[in-house]
Amino acid sequence: MAPEAKTRLSHRTRFVLGIYALLALPLAFLTVFVYLPFFWGFISSLYEFEIGASARFVGLANYREFLFKDPVTWPSFLNMAFLAGWGVMVRLTVPLLVAKLIHSLSNERSRHMYRILFLVPIVVPGVAIQLIWGIMIFSDGGLVNEFLRVIGLGGFAPNWLTDPHSALIAIACIGFPWVGGFEVLIYYAGLSAIPDSVNEAARLEGCTGIRKFFYIDVPMILGQLRLILILSIIGGVQTFENVLILTRGGPGFATTVPGLWMYYNAFSFQRMGYACGIGVTLFALILSLTALNLRYFKGAESLEG
Amino acid sequence: MELDVTANKPVPSLRGERRRKEWGAHAALLVFCFFTLAPFLFVLNNSFRSTVEQQRAFFGLPSAFVNMWSKEPVEVLDENLQRTLIPAEQCFSYFLNEATRGYQLAREVLHDYLLNTLEVCLSVALGVVIMGSVVAYLLARYRFPGSRFVYYYIIATMMFPAVLMLVPSYMVVRELGLLNSFWALFLPYLAGGQVFAIFVFKGFFDGLPEELFESARLDGAGHFNLYTRIVLPLSKPVVSVVAIMTILGAWNNFMWPFVTNTDGSFHVISSGLFVMTRTPVAQNMGTLYAAYILSSLPLLLLFIAATKPFIQGITSGAFKA
Amino acid sequence: MRDYSLWIRMAKFGVLALVLALLVWCLLPQGQAAGKIGPQAKSSSAKYNIRVAIGQTYMPGTVPLGIGKELHGMADVVGAFEQRFPDTHIELITVPFDREYLVTQLSSGSAPDVVNVNVEDVWTDVQKGWYLALDPWLEQPNPFIREKNDPALPGFEKWWDMFKYQAISRGKAAPDQLMYCLSYDMVETGIFYNKDIFRKAGVEVPNTWEEMLAVMAKLEAFGVTPMTMYVDSFNDWGTDLIFDQLYYSLLPGIDLLQDPLREPYLQGYLDWDEICFLFQKGYFTKSDARYRDVFRIMKEWRRYCSADIVDSRLMLTDFVRQKAAMHWNISQLVYRLGADKDLGFEWGVFYLPTIGKATSKYASGNTMCVIGGSANQLEVTNTAFSDSRDPASSERLKRVMAFLQFICVPEQYEKVVNEYPCFISNIVGVESLPPMKPFVEILERPYTTTKWVFTFDLRFCDIQRRLLELYLNDAMDLDEFMRWQEDNIRTATDNLILRKPMDMAKMQVRWDELAPARATMEDLPSGS
Repeated sequence: MAPEAKTRLSHRTRFVLGIYALLALPLAFLTVFVYLPFFWGFISSLYEFEIGASARFVGLANYREFLFKDPVTWPSFLNMAFLAGWGVMVRLTVPLLVAKLIHSLSNERSRHMYRILFLVPIVVPGVAIQLIWGIMIFSDGGLVNEFLRVIGLGGFAPNWLTDPHSALIAIACIGFPWVGGFEVLIYYAGLSAIPDSVNEAARLEGCTGIRKFFYIDVPMILGQLRLILILSIIGGVQTFENVLILTRGGPGFATTVPGLWMYYNAFSFQRMGYACGIGVTLFALILSLTALNLRYFKGAESLEG
Repeated sequence: MELDVTANKPVPSLRGERRRKEWGAHAALLVFCFFTLAPFLFVLNNSFRSTVEQQRAFFGLPSAFVNMWSKEPVEVLDENLQRTLIPAEQCFSYFLNEATRGYQLAREVLHDYLLNTLEVCLSVALGVVIMGSVVAYLLARYRFPGSRFVYYYIIATMMFPAVLMLVPSYMVVRELGLLNSFWALFLPYLAGGQVFAIFVFKGFFDGLPEELFESARLDGAGHFNLYTRIVLPLSKPVVSVVAIMTILGAWNNFMWPFVTNTDGSFHVISSGLFVMTRTPVAQNMGTLYAAYILSSLPLLLLFIAATKPFIQGITSGAFKA
Repeated sequence: MRDYSLWIRMAKFGVLALVLALLVWCLLPQGQAAGKIGPQAKSSSAKYNIRVAIGQTYMPGTVPLGIGKELHGMADVVGAFEQRFPDTHIELITVPFDREYLVTQLSSGSAPDVVNVNVEDVWTDVQKGWYLALDPWLEQPNPFIREKNDPALPGFEKWWDMFKYQAISRGKAAPDQLMYCLSYDMVETGIFYNKDIFRKAGVEVPNTWEEMLAVMAKLEAFGVTPMTMYVDSFNDWGTDLIFDQLYYSLLPGIDLLQDPLREPYLQGYLDWDEICFLFQKGYFTKSDARYRDVFRIMKEWRRYCSADIVDSRLMLTDFVRQKAAMHWNISQLVYRLGADKDLGFEWGVFYLPTIGKATSKYASGNTMCVIGGSANQLEVTNTAFSDSRDPASSERLKRVMAFLQFICVPEQYEKVVNEYPCFISNIVGVESLPPMKPFVEILERPYTTTKWVFTFDLRFCDIQRRLLELYLNDAMDLDEFMRWQEDNIRTATDNLILRKPMDMAKMQVRWDELAPARATMEDLPSGS
């Protein structure tokens, strides 16, 4: 018994060691290129420091300043909440609607064609898309204002991105009609995965159209919805490139988001430590939102299951 | 894993009614399509127009296209900014050259970047697929001490804000002496890209039925065989999704290649385009737009060629949190 | 449905073929193309490969604004230089001077040897050793002039003497009084106006500020946008010009320090130390009536500008499309307007007139000063002496400096700066191109009292710009603006005091001495 146990154990040990060996390289990469920089940033947030100059330990002063003293902080969080909330909303609804519409078509070829058509824009670089919207759609000589003039509302035509009252809304409108090809595919996949028996049963029960959509389809694709929700929230908190390219966070601070403020502090204002403080705060926010998310949705799923 | 085309198989008696109903869906989808794609048509149009032309009027057909068919001589400014007349018979070739000037300039600039990009993207995609699937397979199929920790260790990095990491990552790459090289892009992309891959692969592997492995194991297949004979063939669609998404990510990231390329010897498309917007070439807006179009081509090609597996991959259920 | 399938397949095939063909076209090998970004062919024999980011204005291969010929002047100059220095290869590169780029590259010593950035982006970095002070070289002869054996030539004694606009060039010194940049050429601003619209609206070029306001009112009634300008122009140029108009008469009472180096060129210039000291005395705060008036006048002016002052693209297009009668811009625009055969209107240039008492009771009545100045500012980075880590012994640095000295020699300079009308010559003996004439005249005016966005850091500049965006767009009133601006200046002066040792006691002594002069002045801030 004893020798056998020993060989089993050593076999098991060897097996586990093998796994660790396979994991070593990926984890080493992750540690060097992701964790190392992350902790470096984390530690930097406790210092007042400029790249290239000496650092001075300041404890939690950066966090205190960001959370309690900086007048930009709260407006920027509100902007972020608005943009992220809006992003989550449209990414949960419009692509779903489109996916449902496509799914409802009887012709397989047109279903295929629509999915590809909506997917095409992802080949265009993101920078280009932002510029297109800034220049072509929202500038004063752009599509929207020219259209308003054509229909006789020229007097109303606002300076979309440069008026403090409309800039945030204009940013939210970018990407109209918000049909992300990727999301459409995911929802479509979810809808396709609903078993025939369920659809058939629903049809027999007379549950069709909008009712079927809400009572059958939506609960059946909760997993996909949750995935998009998490990705949208993480993206919504982190993203600032669009604002940087379009308005630089202006006019004033009307479209500044915390990520952008971090960027400005890191590179323009030479306050790397402060910027790292903002970054860590954002990380904490994303972490807690994701945890909340998972908990809430797990609850919903177990109810359903 | 085949597409389920039977889900909505039309019932014959309802066919006519269904048709009529579908017109509404078609109309709505076409409207969505139009608005989604319209901006790109503008870019295409403006890629044939010069800066001066674009400043004068925002909308409009490229004047070079119009002049190409001119039956009369057209007055233009020559290289020395003197007014000269182009005879009608030369109009076509002259204005064809004018219209495509943006493309010619853009091509000169993009040539090397395209090659570099292809090199980086393809190797990163390959590396990410191999590393990601192996790690995900280990995490999904085996229990071992620390497996949960490893999983969270990997997944947690998805929440690290990118800007926070930019400067420190740069320092790391610099210390390793990788600046201005293929490796400065390849290694960090591989390190970061595997996370998403692991997430997706694990989602897919978790869904594979246990019996599949049981029977193979009874046949005497080892761990390695299980992986290569069973798992990989099954996950072809997921592989294509991961590969495409990795390529997309590497393709669109501009900040990183931009800062790690200190001597400009290894620019890729995205950073090259970004550099381009800050350089004299961008003074000709047509060139800039043309560059956007040209730089989208490889992805477009990839897309046209690989839509099917891509769609299948996403449909396969791996994208379900 | 079946008949369509063939078409669809053919369409798909067609698109595929087209994309493939274009892609192959892109990837086909091509000759060394002009206008190419990135490294040029490295000459194998060269011992020193020096990278010079010359900036976009003179980059060989550029077709400026897509009009006319490709530039080649700088390439010719480099060729001539390499002939004289066979062991050196000058690589002209284009890099984007975004902060991310500069910070990462300079901190790792991998930046180009010579960069071209505005000196205000530089001075907060000089103490980190990222840039080299050029004074020792500027005070020495330019060897390429020296070899001509003519002591009358500027540059024979000191390289400095070669520069035409001494006040502006020397005004680019950093707070530590060292010169980190070479003011290679000059730029000037002017108001471009549409002569046709002026004629039709029955207005003339204004001679006073009040006339200008009246002209703008008439143009507005005529149905055009009187003027287009960019919020950055208000931020950078507008603030300084109006400030100079209101504070000029105060200078005898507040100009505390005479910088021995710069005073001969910049009479009465308010330096960093003085701004910081005066701020502590209550100047440039919300209780400083003059400072408040600066922004009141600006708002009055802004009312005649286009509704949108943030979207820089509109400024030019509105002028070109004859929607706007005037446009404030830099001399480079001459090239754009001159090369447009379909422009369809006559244009001219004038400069901002003097502000009179009717506009502000604090108006000094002095001539409106100039605001332009150094255009391309070349800095030498720490890369240039990376071979020995010591500027004194670096062989590489010798080549870098020789190159900078070489491109300043009139025969070479002529080839570069006068290749097309864009900027103004800053080298004695090289006349600017004829289209630059109005701007050369404007540049003869006295230099501004201070440059606000240059005095402080990028943060001050950025915040002031944001505040102006809000204030000038009526999203913030003057009181609120002044409150924020005071905070902004406080942060900026604190930052400055942290970085630069200041002799406050000395200024206090001088301050007390000047008390009688100030006694005669009205409405000074209560702090004095």
